[in-house]
Amino acid sequence: MNPRVRISKFALPGLLTALFLLALLALGYGDMHLSPARVWAGLRHEDPVAATVIWQIRLPRILVAMLVGAGLSASGLVMQAFFRNSLASPGLLGVSSGGAVGAVGAIALGWASTSLWALPAAAIVGALLATGAVLLLARQGASGERLLLAGVALNALLAAATSYLLSEFTGPYEKNTQILFWLLGGLEDRTWEHVMIALPIVAAAALLWPLGRPMDLLSLGAKEAQSLGVDVRGLRRRLLLLSTVLTALATAVAGSVGFVGLVVPQVLRLMVGPEHRRLVPLSLLGGAAFVLACDVAGRAAGGLRLGVVTSLIGAPFFLWMLRKLP
Amino acid sequence: MNSLDITRGTVPGRLEDLSLELPQGKLVGLVGPNGSGKSTLLQLSAGILPPSGAVAWGGRALADIPALERGRCASWVPQDAQFEFGFTVWSVVAQGRYAHGDDGKGVEAALGLLDLEPLAARPVNQLSGGERARVLLARALVTEAPLQLWDEPLAALDPRHALETLRLARAVSRRGTTVLFSLHDLRAAHELDLVVVLHNHRLRAFGTPDEVLTPGLYLEVFGVRAVPAPGLSLELP
Repeated sequence: MNPRVRISKFALPGLLTALFLLALLALGYGDMHLSPARVWAGLRHEDPVAATVIWQIRLPRILVAMLVGAGLSASGLVMQAFFRNSLASPGLLGVSSGGAVGAVGAIALGWASTSLWALPAAAIVGALLATGAVLLLARQGASGERLLLAGVALNALLAAATSYLLSEFTGPYEKNTQILFWLLGGLEDRTWEHVMIALPIVAAAALLWPLGRPMDLLSLGAKEAQSLGVDVRGLRRRLLLLSTVLTALATAVAGSVGFVGLVVPQVLRLMVGPEHRRLVPLSLLGGAAFVLACDVAGRAAGGLRLGVVTSLIGAPFFLWMLRKLP
Repeated sequence: MNSLDITRGTVPGRLEDLSLELPQGKLVGLVGPNGSGKSTLLQLSAGILPPSGAVAWGGRALADIPALERGRCASWVPQDAQFEFGFTVWSVVAQGRYAHGDDGKGVEAALGLLDLEPLAARPVNQLSGGERARVLLARALVTEAPLQLWDEPLAALDPRHALETLRLARAVSRRGTTVLFSLHDLRAAHELDLVVVLHNHRLRAFGTPDEVLTPGLYLEVFGVRAVPAPGLSLELP
């Protein structure tokens, strides 16, 4: 049997199991170690101390980690199909930075404290503007170099915008810490509020689910896809909107977390092949598992921030992918 | 009923004011010098370029045909495609059934017709140019679309596969499908039912090869002299 087929049969149950075990580990591991039995008791409020640790601190953080991972990874998968380029991802194209600028702007200008949704809304607007800029700079189906160079330019511009916001609106210490949080990317002190903000990721993922098959055709050429019966304009619009919202929401609750959208879909593609009907669910689960694992690893390494861990893994992986380019 | 009607089709800078009616079931060659607008005409006919002017398939205006149904009506084959992702040959050919609900019908047969069975499990991004061209043709054939628009399908093929593809196009057209394809081999064009000649982004001539492909046209359009000469001619065994 084709090894890819063999792997793909086990990929879904394998990832689900991995996700469950990782969640169990993440619930038990920390300053206060909890055995699986105590985790179970805590989840059912039978152990008041464990219940507080789990329900107040660890569970929201785990859920945010999984939502962020699923969102970024699926967003990267969509961008790769959209631009027909396996190096496309929210971080490299500047969409994450756009979301971060929106979030930083909302904090700096004081909007973020007015409403729970002000910050994610600002992140979405920032990410949408960045996506629009990428489209203008690169055009559809642009060569790898052109697309990535457009991303470099955009990332530089957005970094400048962030620096400007930081220098112009240096406010109280608390605000600066908050801004620093977005720039570094992390999951410290995530609460149920953040889970709520990130929850629409589930809805976006559900909308993405049925688009797997037309994504296959689009990923091999827009004109060809149109000739084969795909409503390319409608599909493109939906994909772009979904991938931008996924990135923006993830960025709104965790700051800039790089390389998830690049690494996870690419590894899965190598394992199970390029069919998007399989890749969409797998990259949602795989992204969730990857970010959760990175967060646990960062905690185990003495509090390394999530963005640092994903970059430590993602940057070498990206260089390895570059080497494989013709 | 015509298979393809184009009325005053214009694509700025690439094709000017072109009207054309292709009857059903014909094998039609599209010739013209480089840059004369052949690819543009094919894409205009396929509904890929937004036309100024009108395009109709089988008497129905293109604007009235929904996206999915278009995939069953006409099939376009690009000159060359670069595949970024490693879909297998089989699955790329099966994409031709997208507009039929992905029923996978006829995929094996199309692979056989284009000599692709040994490559069925190979990733398309590892194929040679000629192999890719045959994959694209197979995908177009499984759509069973009654209008086939192929952009230089023979250019990358070796002599045997080029002859087989011509024979295949002939067989498909005998079953009522209209095949419009661009080519540079004017000798092959002489064997077709009809020939469309483009020159400087305009329709220069349209008719049977004997009417159209005259020494005067060769000189004017292509800048070559037609000299009858005995020489090597290739055919399938």
